[in-house]
Amino acid sequence: MLRFLTYRLFSTLLVCTGVSIMVFLLIHMVPGDPVDMMLGESARPADRAALRHALGLDQPLWTQFSQYFSGLFQGNLGVSIHSSRPVSELLLERAPATIELALAALLVSVIIALPMGVLAAVRRNTLWDRGAMAFSLLGVSIPNFWLGPMLILVFSLGLGWFPVSGREYSGSLVLPAITLGTAMAAVLSRMVRSSLLEVLGEDFIRTARAKGMPERIVVWKHALLNALLPVITLLGLQLGVLLGGAVITETVFSWPGLGKLTIDAILRRDYPVVQGAILLISITYVVVNMLTDIIYGIVDPRIRLGSTK
Amino acid sequence: MTNRVLLSLLILGSVFMILSCSQQDNGYIRFGLSSAPLRLDPRYATDATSARLNRLLYDRLTDFDETSRAIPSLAQWEQLDSLRYRFVLRPDRRTFSSGERLTSADVKATYDFVLDQKNASPHRSSLALIKDIRVVNQDTLDFELSHADVLFPSYLVIGIVSAKAVQQGINLDHNPQGSGPFSMLAWPEEGRLQLQRRHDKQVFEFVHIGDNTVRTLKLLRGEIDILQNDLPRELVNKLRKEKGVSVFSRTGSNFSYIGLNFRQKELGVRRVRRALMHAIDRESLVRHILGGKTRVAESILPPEHWAGNKQIKPYAYDPEKSRELLEQAGYNNENPLRLSYKTSSDPFRIRIATIIQQQLANVGIEVELISYDWATFYGDIKAGRFQIYSLSWVGVKSPDILRYVFHSKSVPPDGANRGQYRNPIADRMIEQAEIATSIKRRGQLYQLLLKILHDDLPYIPLWYEEHFAVVRQDIKGYRLNADGNYDSLSEVSRQN
Amino acid sequence: MKRPWLPMAVCLLWALLAIAGSWLPLDPNQIHLDSILLAPGTGAILGYDDLGRPILDRLILGARTSFLVAIWVVSLSATIGILIGTISAYIGGWLDLVIVRVIDIFMAFPGILLAIAMAGIMGPGINNVVIALSVVGWVGFARLARAQTLSVRERDHVAAAISMGTRTHRIIFRHLLPLISAPLIVEATFGVAAVIISEAGLSFLGLGVQPPESSWGSMIRDGARYMLVTPHMVLAPGVALMLVVLSVNLLGDWLRDVMDTRIRQTGTDK
Repeated sequence: MLRFLTYRLFSTLLVCTGVSIMVFLLIHMVPGDPVDMMLGESARPADRAALRHALGLDQPLWTQFSQYFSGLFQGNLGVSIHSSRPVSELLLERAPATIELALAALLVSVIIALPMGVLAAVRRNTLWDRGAMAFSLLGVSIPNFWLGPMLILVFSLGLGWFPVSGREYSGSLVLPAITLGTAMAAVLSRMVRSSLLEVLGEDFIRTARAKGMPERIVVWKHALLNALLPVITLLGLQLGVLLGGAVITETVFSWPGLGKLTIDAILRRDYPVVQGAILLISITYVVVNMLTDIIYGIVDPRIRLGSTK
Repeated sequence: MTNRVLLSLLILGSVFMILSCSQQDNGYIRFGLSSAPLRLDPRYATDATSARLNRLLYDRLTDFDETSRAIPSLAQWEQLDSLRYRFVLRPDRRTFSSGERLTSADVKATYDFVLDQKNASPHRSSLALIKDIRVVNQDTLDFELSHADVLFPSYLVIGIVSAKAVQQGINLDHNPQGSGPFSMLAWPEEGRLQLQRRHDKQVFEFVHIGDNTVRTLKLLRGEIDILQNDLPRELVNKLRKEKGVSVFSRTGSNFSYIGLNFRQKELGVRRVRRALMHAIDRESLVRHILGGKTRVAESILPPEHWAGNKQIKPYAYDPEKSRELLEQAGYNNENPLRLSYKTSSDPFRIRIATIIQQQLANVGIEVELISYDWATFYGDIKAGRFQIYSLSWVGVKSPDILRYVFHSKSVPPDGANRGQYRNPIADRMIEQAEIATSIKRRGQLYQLLLKILHDDLPYIPLWYEEHFAVVRQDIKGYRLNADGNYDSLSEVSRQN
Repeated sequence: MKRPWLPMAVCLLWALLAIAGSWLPLDPNQIHLDSILLAPGTGAILGYDDLGRPILDRLILGARTSFLVAIWVVSLSATIGILIGTISAYIGGWLDLVIVRVIDIFMAFPGILLAIAMAGIMGPGINNVVIALSVVGWVGFARLARAQTLSVRERDHVAAAISMGTRTHRIIFRHLLPLISAPLIVEATFGVAAVIISEAGLSFLGLGVQPPESSWGSMIRDGARYMLVTPHMVLAPGVALMLVVLSVNLLGDWLRDVMDTRIRQTGTDK
C-alpha cells in the first residue's frame, strides 16, 4: 500500500511539473504583448519600454522562467500584469464562484441522471430505456454555448424567472448550472444504468426478491446503494469535463469564475494569471484523479497493480 | 417512485424560484459598462473607461471645451513668458474625499511623480517638456518649460492626487484619494465598482457586462439603469420601441479609419489609394450599420475641432471611377489587386470589415480578411505587420496627434506612423505648426495639413461614431458629452 | 440489431451537403444591406443574417467547414495517437514510461483550454483549428490504443508471432491493429462528434474560420448577438449542429453495440 501511495504521489508531482513547464512555454509562444494591452493606442514608446522593464518582460525567456519556477516553489504565482494584483489573490477570489457552479452543476446532473438511469435499468430494453438513453445522448450533443443562450431566451427573456447573467442575485446560479450540468447528466445517467444493471444481476438481489421484498425497496435501497459506489468514484474522472465546460459556460453567462478569468487573461496576454489559472485547474484535476485512484485502491486492492501499468 | 422524483424536482424548482425573486433593492443607480476599468490611479490609467471614471474621482487643472480647446478647470492660468506659466487654483474647489484641502503642493506632487522616470508612468512623455514646478503659495504654482509650446495648458489633464498619498505610497487603484464629485465606496471585484456621490451619498454601481445582449436584457429587466455605446444598431432600434427606457444620441469624435501600409508597393501609388476611397460606400454603411448620429469623416480631427478643416470636400462613393483608377494603375480582371485586411475579432468590427470586403470586391479588389483577438491584432498593427487594417482613434483632443501619426520620424517604435507614410511637405508643416507663436496661426497650419493629408490619403477616413445612451425612465438628468465621458452622473437622480 | 436509419440519413445528408455544396447554386457571401435580419419566409427559407446574407446558404457552407474539420482532425489524431499508443505498449520499457507521462500531462489540461491556447498561438483559420484540435485529440486514441495493445499482446497468436521473430511493424499492422480496431472505430465515431462541437466552440470564441467563411459556431455567436431582435439567426445553426452531433453519437452507440456483439461472438481465443 505504501509503495502504491508513494508511486502515485511521485507521478502526480511529475505531471504537475510537466504541466507548469508546458503552460509557461505555451503562453510565451502566443503572439501579442501585455504592455500594449495596458497602455492602449496612444502611449509613447519610451513609456512602453519603461513599463516593460518594470514588469521584467525585457529579460530573456529563461530568466523569466527560472524566476517563475523558483517562485512556484515558494507558493508565489507572480503579479497580474493587467491589474497589478497578486495572482494567488485573484485565483482565490474567483475560485469560490467556479466551485459553486461546479457543485450546482453536479447537483443538477444528479437530479436528472439518477431517476433516468434507474428508469432505464429497471425497464431495460423498453421504450423507457431507449428514450432515456436517447435523451442522455441529446445532453452531450447540445453544446454549452448554444444551450446557454437558449435558456436565457426562454427562462430569462420569455418567462422572466431567472436573471440573465452575472452572480449578483441568488437565482443567477440556476441557468449556468443547468447549462453545465446537462452534459454531465448525460454521462452520469449511462453510468448509473450500467452499474445498476450489473448489481441487479447479483445474488443478493435475487435473494432479496425471493424473500418477497417490494421491488421499490429492492431497487432504490439495496441495488442503488451498491451501484452508486463505482459511479461516485468514476465521477472524479468527469471533473476535467466539468472544468473545461465551465470555461465556456462562464463566458456565456459572465460568471465571475476561474474559467472566465482564464479566457480574459488569455485575450489580454496576462501571462502570470493564465499560468496560475491553468496550473490551478490542471493540478486540481490531477490531484482529484490521484485521490480517486487511491480510494479505488483501498476499496479494491486489485486495482493497485493495474493503475501503475 | 416517479412520484417522489417529481415531488423533489418540484420542491427544488420552487426553492430556486423563491431565491430568484429576491432582487436587490438598495437604491443604487447601476451603470452597465462594456469594458471594465483597469486602473483608478490617474497617474497610470490609459484606457477609456478608467479615464471616464477617473474624471468622477479626481479634478484636473485644465479641461477641454467642445472644440477641444483647453479651458480652466481646477485652475486659471496666465502665461508669464514663452517658457513660464502660472496656475492659480479656484478658491471654491472641493476638498479631497478625506476632507483635507487640495493645495498647490498636491499638484506639484502629482506631476513630479509622473515626471520621475523610475515610476514608469505612461503619461510622462507628453509632459517631458516641464523643466521645473515651483509652489508659490497654497493656491499658486509656476511651471517652467524647456521649450515653448502654445498648447502647454492642454497637456495638464491628469487627475490631481493627494501629496500625502504620493508620499505614503498608497495604492490609489483601490483607495483613490481625489477631490472629484465622487468617492470610492468599494471595488469588490474586477467587474463591479461602487462610487458614492459626495454631496448626497447616492451610490452608483458600475457593472461590467461584456455581452451586448445581456447588457440590453439587464437594462430591460431593471438590473441596470444606464448604459452607453457599444450596442449594434438593431438592438438600439429595438430599445427605442420599448416602454420604460429612453434612448438618446449625439455626434461623437472618435475617428474610424482604414490604415494603409506604404511599404506595400501597390499602396504606395496614390491612384490605388483613391480607388480604395471611391470604392467604399461610407454613406450606406452609416445608414445601415452605424446609424443615427454617426458622421462620415474626412480627417482625423472633426470639423468642429479648433484645428479641424471645415472646407474639405468629401470623397464620393463612385465605383466607376474606382475601377477606372485601378485600370490606370494596371489592374484588371486578369490581374486583380489583392490585399489582406486585418481587423480585431470583435464581432462589430468583423461585420463592418466583411461589408467593406464585398464593396472592394465589387470593383475587382480581392480582399482576404484576417481577424485576430485584440492582443495579437494590435501587436501586428503596431509592428507594421499589415497591408490594410481598420481601427479607431479614441479621445483625440490635442492636434499633437498629427505628428505622432503622420510625421516621417514617427515610424514605430518612435510613434504611430505604422504605415511608414513619408511626405516631406507634411513633415515641414507639422514642424512649422509646432513653433507657431499663436494658437490661431497653429490652427491655420494644421488646417492646411489636413487638406494635404486628405488629398494624399495615408488613411482612408471612414466616420466619427455617434454616442448614445439608454436609460430607464425613472432616471433623470443623464446627458451625453462630446467625448463620451460620464460627467453628467453628478446630476443624475432616480425619481419614482 | 436495428439499424438507426434516421441518424444515418442525417449524417449522409450532412456529408452530401458538405461535399456537393460547392456545386449548388448558393449565394452565401452576397451581402444585401436592405435584407438585414429579415425573418424566415421573406425571400429566403431561413431568413437573412446580420449582413443580409441568406442563412440557409450559410448553413450549408458551415456544414462543409464542420465536415472537413471533423474528418481531418479525426484522421490526423487517430493516426498519430494509434501509432504512438501501440508502439509505446509494444516496445514498453522507458519509452513507454515517457509516453505515459506525456499522455498524463496532456490529460491534465482541460482540452478546450489547450485548444484555445494553441489556436491563439497560431492565429485563426481553418488549418490552425485542425492542428489545435489534433494536438488535443491524439491523446485519447493513444491511451486507448495502448491499453488495448497491452491487453492483446499476450494473446496466443500474437505471442506466437513475436516468438517466431516476425518483424515489429508486421506484428503491429497484421496482428495487433485488426484485434484492437473495433474500440478504436467506436472512439473515432465519438471523436467526430466531439470535434464538431470543439470546432464550433473555437469559432464561437472567434478563433475559428475567417469571414466570409462560415461555421456553425460563428453563426451561433453572431446569432446570439441578435437573439433579442430576432431568434431565427441563433436557432438555425444550433439546431443543425445539434442534429448532426446527436446523429453521429447515435451512430457511435449503435456501432459500439454491434462491435460488442461481434467481439463476444468471435472472441474465442480468450
